[in-house]
Amino acid sequence: MINIDAILAQVFNGIQFGVLIALLATGLSLIFGMLGIINFAHGSLYMLGAYFVWTCAQMLPLPGNFWLGLVLTLPLMALVGLIIERFLLHRMYGQPVVYQILITFGLLLVIQQGVALIYGTVPLPLGMPRYFEGEINLGLLRYPVYRLFTMILGLAIISCLWFFIERSALGAIIRASAEDPETAKTLGINTRTVYTWTFALGSALAGLGGGLHAPMIGGLQHTTGTEILLISFIVVVIGGMGSIRGALLGGIILGVVRGLAGVFWAPASDFVMFAAMGIILMIRPQGLLGRGGTR
Amino acid sequence: MKVGVGWPGKGFWTELFPALIMAAILVAIYFILPSKMMAAEILIMAIPTLAFILLLGYTGLLNFGTGSLFAVGAYTAGILLARHNVHILLAITAGVVMSGIISIIMGYFCIKRGGLIFALLTLAFNQLIWFIVWQWKSLTGGPDGIWGIKRGSLDLAIFSVNLKPTFNFYIFVLICFVLLFILVRRLIESPFGKVLMGMRESELRATAIGYNPETYKWIAFVIGGLICGLGGTLFALHQEYVGEHLANWFTSGEFAIMALLGGTFVLHGALIGSGVFIFLADFLNRFPILSKAGAWLLILGAIFIVVVMFFRGGIYGGAEKLYERFRKK
Repeated sequence: MINIDAILAQVFNGIQFGVLIALLATGLSLIFGMLGIINFAHGSLYMLGAYFVWTCAQMLPLPGNFWLGLVLTLPLMALVGLIIERFLLHRMYGQPVVYQILITFGLLLVIQQGVALIYGTVPLPLGMPRYFEGEINLGLLRYPVYRLFTMILGLAIISCLWFFIERSALGAIIRASAEDPETAKTLGINTRTVYTWTFALGSALAGLGGGLHAPMIGGLQHTTGTEILLISFIVVVIGGMGSIRGALLGGIILGVVRGLAGVFWAPASDFVMFAAMGIILMIRPQGLLGRGGTR
Repeated sequence: MKVGVGWPGKGFWTELFPALIMAAILVAIYFILPSKMMAAEILIMAIPTLAFILLLGYTGLLNFGTGSLFAVGAYTAGILLARHNVHILLAITAGVVMSGIISIIMGYFCIKRGGLIFALLTLAFNQLIWFIVWQWKSLTGGPDGIWGIKRGSLDLAIFSVNLKPTFNFYIFVLICFVLLFILVRRLIESPFGKVLMGMRESELRATAIGYNPETYKWIAFVIGGLICGLGGTLFALHQEYVGEHLANWFTSGEFAIMALLGGTFVLHGALIGSGVFIFLADFLNRFPILSKAGAWLLILGAIFIVVVMFFRGGIYGGAEKLYERFRKK
């Protein structure tokens, strides 16, 4: 007999996982909408963020250094994204998309193996930050504080991001450069700069996702990002390319379905992700909240 | 692009002569290489790379599912040989057919969406197959893989060859490879191949002329799957072991690296790419610093980025340019 608490806990875990994945998926989705490429190195940026937070938390003997690391990941990963875009992808615009994708695959190898060279291949555990180790009573179930915290923080960030992209003037510039670069250019928008900063934004989000996730991963490894990359690809396909709300919705659906399937039959948790993707692609090829039209 | 120019009516024998030269060179290479195991591996890895090139270079499809189809062939042949003791040729055929069946299904779903979504979907399918391999322990051995694949003697009606010695097996792989190479060359120079290339250049125009791009892509995808399957079966024989890592998408990535290194616009690129990749991997792994933590992959990744950015034609394309500049002077 499967008790109701386990199911409820899995629903919560699913939402929490989904929100974290949505952090990556929104970045992927933004980069896709803008540059028209799928970024294989996105998982590596997530992994880099996690390693950065680990380094901060382990190396500095201060109590709040985990949080310091988490805050610092944002500008640092934005910088990494900036460098990647400026020196690699920037030179590739106007060339076949296939090669741009393959470049990001090469980048994945370089980042991943670079981390393996520096940190070794042994999993590095990172404990929960102080005051966040325990569980909180939500009435129906007791839930780990840290997970609840990441869920709320992730939701807040994604909401801000949605507001920024869909409602602010800068967001309008970003959307314009993605949807109609030619017209945007005639209106005096430097689309290339917009591309660079969008890539940096996506990278920063991926790094933050990695940093937030780090204490929940059993041990950090250089291959940490590859599985999450695949899941976020699936989320982007499910949610619809270029849609932030789609990424959030897709992430939560996938997380919950995955968690619930795991309750009933553990090996099924991975299959259902693909099944969900297959079904949605059959019914709605542009994704749940996709704007339609295929590139 | 000069590649693929040739008349469909050209006979089989005119193809055979260059193929024989290639075979002779390959036999010579066997004796030059530092490790004898490497020679067969280069040829075997060149087979799925050939499929990747056929799809990317000639059809314009970025297929990240080659690794799983390779693994399907390897597992089918491996299971049949290790547990059911079937004839080697039967195991190879079964592996190829199995990969073909899987790629028909995979192709059906993936072909519907072009470009990027195609790449993503093949990647997702690749991982789905990997999960199946990982979870279905009773069939695939899960993380343990399949041990005890016997590369015994190849019994044909008239004579039998023992494939156990490295050289004999190499010659066997060589024959398979050269035959496959001729076949793929013929395919590319056939009207069918011309349609594929036409679709690569402009899908809209190909559709306007009256070709159905979906059908053609699907067929090309399945042909690629069959080729990957053949590579997989030979790999199972070569290693006498099949592991789950073969099905992982990193294997697909490796084939992509090989293809890009060699050159994606020409079939020879597969051979050059896999040769350089495997030779470099072996060479870099000889340094203890680099073999630790897989740093050789870092160097290969960096080389790969440089190739994609600046030498789109790969080694073959670069050599061709050099040759032309030399001839003009």
